[in-house]
Amino acid sequence: MNTALRIGLRSARAHRRRLVGTVLAVLLGVAFLTGTMVLGDTLRANFDTLFADANAGTGAVVRSADVLPAQNVPGGVRAPVDTALADRLRTVPGVSAAEPSVQGAGQLVGRNGEPIGGKGPPTLAGNWLTDGTLNPYRLAEGRAPAAPGEAVINRGAAEAGDLRIGDTTMLRTPDPVRITVVGIATFGADADGMGPSTFTGLSLADAERHLTPKGEGQATAIRLRSDTLTQQQLVDRVKPLLPSGVEALTGQAATAESTADVSGRFLTMFTTLLLVFAGIALLVATFTIHNTFAIVVAQRTRENALLRALGAHRRQVLGATLAEAAVVAVVASAAGLAGGIGVAAGLSALFAALGFSLPTGGMVVATASVALPLAVGILVTLGSALLPAVRAGRTAPLAALRESTVDDAATGRTGRVRAVLGTALLAGGTVLTVRGATGGPSAVLTATGAVSALAGTVVLGPVSAALAVHVLGAPLPRLRGVSGALARRNAARNPSRTAATATALMVGVAVVTLFTVFAASIRATLNDTVDRSFAGDLAVTAPAFGAGGSGVSPKLAEAVRQLPQVEQAVGLGRGVARIDGHGRELDITDPARLPGVVDLGRVDGSLAALGTDGLAVSRSEAAARGWQLGSTVSVAFTDGTERFTVRALYEGGGVAGDYLMTRQAWAPHRVQDSDTMVAVALRPGVPLADGKAAVQKVADAYGNPQVQDRGEYAASAAGGVDTMLSVVYALLALAVLIALLGIANTLTLAVHERTRELGLLRAVGQTRGQLRSMVRWESVLVAAFGTVGGLGLGAFLGWALVRASDSAGTGSFALPPGRLAVVLLAGLVAGAVAGLRPAGRAARLDVLRAIATD
Amino acid sequence: MTVVQLHPAAAVTDAVKVYGIGATRVRALDHVTVEFPAGRFTAIMGPSGSGKSTLMHCAAGLDTLSAGSAHIGGTELGTLNDRRLTELRRERIGFVFQSFNLVPTLTVRENITLPLDLAGRAPDAAWVDALVEVVGLGDRLHHRPAELSGGQQQRVAVARALAGRPQVVFADEPTGNLDSRSGAEVLGLLRQAVDTMDQAVVMVTHDPTAAGYADRVLFLADGRLVDSMDTPTADRVLDRMKAFDAPAATGRPAGTGSTAARAATARAATPDTARSAAAGPRESDRR
Repeated sequence: MNTALRIGLRSARAHRRRLVGTVLAVLLGVAFLTGTMVLGDTLRANFDTLFADANAGTGAVVRSADVLPAQNVPGGVRAPVDTALADRLRTVPGVSAAEPSVQGAGQLVGRNGEPIGGKGPPTLAGNWLTDGTLNPYRLAEGRAPAAPGEAVINRGAAEAGDLRIGDTTMLRTPDPVRITVVGIATFGADADGMGPSTFTGLSLADAERHLTPKGEGQATAIRLRSDTLTQQQLVDRVKPLLPSGVEALTGQAATAESTADVSGRFLTMFTTLLLVFAGIALLVATFTIHNTFAIVVAQRTRENALLRALGAHRRQVLGATLAEAAVVAVVASAAGLAGGIGVAAGLSALFAALGFSLPTGGMVVATASVALPLAVGILVTLGSALLPAVRAGRTAPLAALRESTVDDAATGRTGRVRAVLGTALLAGGTVLTVRGATGGPSAVLTATGAVSALAGTVVLGPVSAALAVHVLGAPLPRLRGVSGALARRNAARNPSRTAATATALMVGVAVVTLFTVFAASIRATLNDTVDRSFAGDLAVTAPAFGAGGSGVSPKLAEAVRQLPQVEQAVGLGRGVARIDGHGRELDITDPARLPGVVDLGRVDGSLAALGTDGLAVSRSEAAARGWQLGSTVSVAFTDGTERFTVRALYEGGGVAGDYLMTRQAWAPHRVQDSDTMVAVALRPGVPLADGKAAVQKVADAYGNPQVQDRGEYAASAAGGVDTMLSVVYALLALAVLIALLGIANTLTLAVHERTRELGLLRAVGQTRGQLRSMVRWESVLVAAFGTVGGLGLGAFLGWALVRASDSAGTGSFALPPGRLAVVLLAGLVAGAVAGLRPAGRAARLDVLRAIATD
Repeated sequence: MTVVQLHPAAAVTDAVKVYGIGATRVRALDHVTVEFPAGRFTAIMGPSGSGKSTLMHCAAGLDTLSAGSAHIGGTELGTLNDRRLTELRRERIGFVFQSFNLVPTLTVRENITLPLDLAGRAPDAAWVDALVEVVGLGDRLHHRPAELSGGQQQRVAVARALAGRPQVVFADEPTGNLDSRSGAEVLGLLRQAVDTMDQAVVMVTHDPTAAGYADRVLFLADGRLVDSMDTPTADRVLDRMKAFDAPAATGRPAGTGSTAARAATARAATPDTARSAAAGPRESDRR
């Protein structure tokens, strides 16, 4: 065997304990990366299976060709097709079955009165397809719906809502529909449902009545199958018979389209988000690995010098160190792969615990998900060890005779170069970031500045470490006497090591801080928005997330307005249209009444005069598009294009969006109507509690949406932010854990290195307790350096992110002192915890061996 | 003070120390009894592996005996737990080691007061100043150990050992890493401590010249006390060592002679130390 390799292997084996921290860092990083990729594979495969199952018996789908993208409707919004078309297609030779398929949003209310689902996965309602092959659902018990008000629900929904055959409950479409459960269905091959989504199957007549705009004769699509033709032949056969604006595609194409849609809408973003955090964890691991090898090489200077003196080439010494790193890389990456499967399960459990169910039955592990993390783990480890290995190779043979090398990273020429370069990077980065974030936000400029500022901080680390530790540790001598003073000086004695250790934590804390600040700012912005523009007293909403939920019934506003306690109640619905070629969301409302509950600021023109061909546009949007009062714009709905006139301009950026349209104008083009919110103003003198109770009573009859006062409304609007933040915290925990491992590892190595010094201290009277406290406080100091640096950097970058992402200039920036204090405290406590093991090892030192002369 | 008079500063009685088990079992101390009285400078000599370091470590409470007892003043060390033992070390014992005597992150003054600081005791400023004066490092108080020569470092270590007015100072090869001139300075300091402060000093050494500074030399071989010599001189000690080496045939015949030669010249350069008129044989009598 090659000598370098042999020495590397031997020394890896001999220094197992020193390398444990490195192995763990690589392992965790690789496990996270693997877990992310496996979860992505699994989700993709499961979605694919779900859509394939949904279209298993369908040969072709006939539907409107034109589609408008909508945020909360999978696949976008299309105009309905006539059900009569199904009757015509059924007569085409080769068509074995043709059935209208109505699909819309319908959220079931469970036995306890709470809505089922709604947090992410769709809550669907539709007609129960009578053709057993076309219908992806199978009856598990009971029978198909026949009479009005009868429904089949999927087994998952039945279990979640504790509903049984014969139960009567409410379906929010969002108009409340009373249904009686007559059957329980399974999906595909005996699944509880189409993933975690819910489905309510009604009779065709019921489905048309509740889920289509006209109430009869319309369907979302028509599903065909043929016993004799291939899918493509079937499509080719029916295509010439379709009216204009209607298309046919094969079942397989429909499946592929759905998979692509969910990928683009959800999976890509989801896995990218996870990959970003895996990347952060690996970045932090890089610092830890680099640091460990740097220390190991420093401690082995004499050994390497001896090798050089005995005639080893630089390359052989370098090779030996790299071989050792390679052992770590391979062992840790392989273990990380195994751990990754566990991480995938853990992540999926994490999201389930937070209320987002993911379809993750059966882990799918693609080759890339094994090969890539393995490669990344090995490359990251070898890359991180490269510099220390080069340094090992440069060891002068004479170093064997010298006492020890001096850390010159903070002083001397290297120190000056560092100081100049670091300051330049930091200052330049700061200027770029500020310029990018403020002067007409530029993401590229801000990001470049942020990266440069981060690099500057890292470069400056060793120069600033000694001073920072000195300042941060100032109270220590008074608190802990000479052991405290020693802790402070120990943390400062090897600034580049302290800096490298702290930098890992700094990166982690900076990202935590960035998200904390960003989330607080979003929350503040939402609060501001509600404060500024919500002029009502109560808000009625149906909480939902992603594609779930069904909104609030548009009839609710009218009913609430009848209450004697209520001065004004206006519903705000959401519509989509392409305005002058740009896909936009519209607020469908009663613009004349709106100022009673929503503060629209100065209004030019007349909100009351919009009629069926007028639009109200926010002043900023109008300015951006170059419109004035009286401008005419083209508005493309799913069923055609019309010209509208801009009749009013108002102050945007509030509860109402950029476009307001009357219900009358929207009605002909709607697909399934729902309000996102009903804003209510009470009559003067009506106590809030009384008004709220009265409105809640009415709302109960409309499927129990929640009634909130201003404070609650603002808080719930920000609720999603907090949920996202807890996900981010959970994902960042790993990076922070790796950073803490780094601190523990560096300290353990330092303890090993200072064996004789510690022995001397013990001999001249330092108690075990004092020694432990000394090592622990050193750990806390290093952690404090990293945490404080991270807080500063994170707060600054958070500010930049808030400003850069706020092109309208209406957002607020908030530094939440309480949360940041918790981050600081957590950093310090974590530092103390990281110091436990090294402190314990130091305290167990045998005094005699420590002071024994060699 | 009464305690000091009733008990020797340090003592071991019937001390046995066994290392390892089975085939690797080594008896490092074999029923050794010895007292180290106040105001006396005792040197412990013996070939490598004779148990001299073990004896010092056990007497100083750095190591525990397998059998027998060790006392510092009237305190039996075997009865103390680690915490009490540590406190006893910093309050009643001073240490000077061969190398790595100082904490590199502390200044000279901080190193001197380290045991007191660890105990949370306020150092007696006048006493520390006097010590600094004696060891001759008044202008180096705020330097770090790395900025001092080896001899200066050892002098700081001596000052540290004396700073807490301990009952006994243990020195383990204190001149082992020093040139003869620096070594002589350190030994002179220890001698002075015995003579002017009535300090008990116990020194392990294999250097006959160093042993020449002591009032009494104890010779150990194979874990047993085999001989002792009062008012030694370097030459007499060297002769005695040779006598040991010859029958045992284990010692280091080469080198000792030249060490002695070097030591002799060093001795000539040693300034005569002033001392009080206390009882007992003194170095001056032997000169």
